[in-house]
Amino acid sequence: MIFTIFKKELIDTLRDKRTMRTMLLIPLLVFPIMLTLFVNVSSSFEKKASEEKIILGVWGDRSGKYWKQLDQMPKGLGEMATRSFEDTAKLKRAIENGEIQLGLIIPKNEDVLLRNKVTIPLTWLFDASEMGRQERAESYMKVMSDNAESVRLKELGVDAEKLHPLVPVYQNCASDKKMIGQLAGGILPYIFIAFGFIGCMYPAIDLFTGEKERGTIETLLTTPVSRWQILVGKMMVIVTSGMLAASCALLGLFVSIEFLDIVHNKEILDIVHGILTPMFILSMFSLLLPLVVFFAGVMIPIAVYAKSFKEAQSIITPLNFVMVLPAMIGFFPGIELNAITAAIPVVNIVLSTKELISGTLSVGYYAISLSIMLILATVSVLISYQQFGKESRILN
Amino acid sequence: MIKVSHLRKEFELSRQQQKELNTSDKIALAVNDVSFECQAGKVYSLLGPNGAGKTTTLRMLSTILTPSSGEIEIAGIDAVKYPQEARKKIGFLTGSTGLYARLTPIEIIDYFAALYQVPNKERDERKKYLFHLLNMEDFLQKRIGKLSTGMKQKVSICRTMIHNPEVVIFDEPTSGLDVITAENIIKLIRDCKDQGKTVIFSSHIMSEVDLLCDDLAIIHKGSLKYQGSMTDFRQHMEATNLTEEFIRIVQR
Repeated sequence: MIFTIFKKELIDTLRDKRTMRTMLLIPLLVFPIMLTLFVNVSSSFEKKASEEKIILGVWGDRSGKYWKQLDQMPKGLGEMATRSFEDTAKLKRAIENGEIQLGLIIPKNEDVLLRNKVTIPLTWLFDASEMGRQERAESYMKVMSDNAESVRLKELGVDAEKLHPLVPVYQNCASDKKMIGQLAGGILPYIFIAFGFIGCMYPAIDLFTGEKERGTIETLLTTPVSRWQILVGKMMVIVTSGMLAASCALLGLFVSIEFLDIVHNKEILDIVHGILTPMFILSMFSLLLPLVVFFAGVMIPIAVYAKSFKEAQSIITPLNFVMVLPAMIGFFPGIELNAITAAIPVVNIVLSTKELISGTLSVGYYAISLSIMLILATVSVLISYQQFGKESRILN
Repeated sequence: MIKVSHLRKEFELSRQQQKELNTSDKIALAVNDVSFECQAGKVYSLLGPNGAGKTTTLRMLSTILTPSSGEIEIAGIDAVKYPQEARKKIGFLTGSTGLYARLTPIEIIDYFAALYQVPNKERDERKKYLFHLLNMEDFLQKRIGKLSTGMKQKVSICRTMIHNPEVVIFDEPTSGLDVITAENIIKLIRDCKDQGKTVIFSSHIMSEVDLLCDDLAIIHKGSLKYQGSMTDFRQHMEATNLTEEFIRIVQR
């Protein structure tokens, strides 16, 4: 009987254009569109910034050593022309007005300072709100600084190697998989939680508040099917919808990485392929299924309580933030899965998934996380049943 | 057959409902000590003005609501103790057709046949009979959302009768329907009677009751004000016509 209800409700849900949009279409397209836009826009900005011909305003001695160095900058750093300024205030104003892109103040007594072998301050002026300006200044400065350092060491007769008795070598022993898990692992559970919630939302409202509004619940309740069976049949559709929405979002993300040429590093691609094993997907779904059941269990009493679609929507939509907010924990470095975090709902799923990607998930913490979510899911189902059984709630 | 004795239904009032009804009472009495009996092969009518307790009574008979006290027997089954068993014997139809707009009539009928656990062979025979009887063949594959009110009502009738119920409950079945669609319902009630089914229907239209029923009860403010056969009602009425007599009893 439960399957009969599930089948009918699923057909009904799949024919609802609004649900189809939130369940399949948006989750499937959001990442390909977002990532393509993001990558294209940011790379075009970067390209534009690095290829941009800039005018460098200089206040200093035109025949001085450092001005000459500016004229010999490597072409690879981007095209550049210099313009002389008589005072620093005009130089600053020219940057503010956008007449020039960078400014450099070279002390007029650079020769004296050089001779005395003291530090020479080179002041760079730029508009930090413009993309790539600071980077361009830093790249020029590096060339000039490296030249000056090697000349001075030569003059002092010092071997550069002797100057640095200790050379630190920092070696990262974490596997690439672990690194990806820690750096990008937070996004995966976040996607699942956000889209899992959205995927549950419309079917939950439609199958409970909608049935009340349309008067179909009354006819359903006169059939020899227990309320428990009706609830489970409908809940299965809500959970399926939530899981489908989340899976579609993941599929969209995978398609974006695989086919849209977003990740250029082959090693990273190999790691992503290595992570997406059937065992990983199974373990992840085992964590996320009780979470989606919990979402459904939270939404059903609200949908049963609400008298109209609008009322249900106005209560459930803000709840989205409450549920999804803890999922952001995954983005913070340093927060790890332990006995305490494993007992915090939603947070435990995020951290467990993160560790699952890194390949460092402890069986004990996995069991705690899973048990907590299963208990919560069961409690939410029981509350749903209690609310669904109330005459005053179910009939408008 | 339907047997109802000392039926009572109380509803808890929320604060908002107390405000709306301008009362400090925490409980509203919707049905109070109602007893009646509907015989098989007869049509029983529950007549009363809006808010009299008709729908609450019929909802209790169809086991959607649980009575606060009292007994209900449907086709020999204690409907309060065994509601799921009783539902197998009941067909329930309301004026506001509760149908799924995104499904087709055939999908709805199959769905309800499955919920009533009608065996496939019997289901197919019933479908054939009802589709022909109600002249539904032309719109079986169209979605409910695209059908006219009359067509929807036919689907509702078919859904109500697919499991061949012994007891048929109609809650204001013609309310809001046009004359032709209402005629389908009236025909259905007569057919049910001819087939020996127990039929109970609620209405606030005296002419409809006069046309169809064998026995009637008048309910007002949750209590029965009159019950007996239609023949007795006509013979003993003090007013000049049925509607005036109904008003007289209600205002008594």
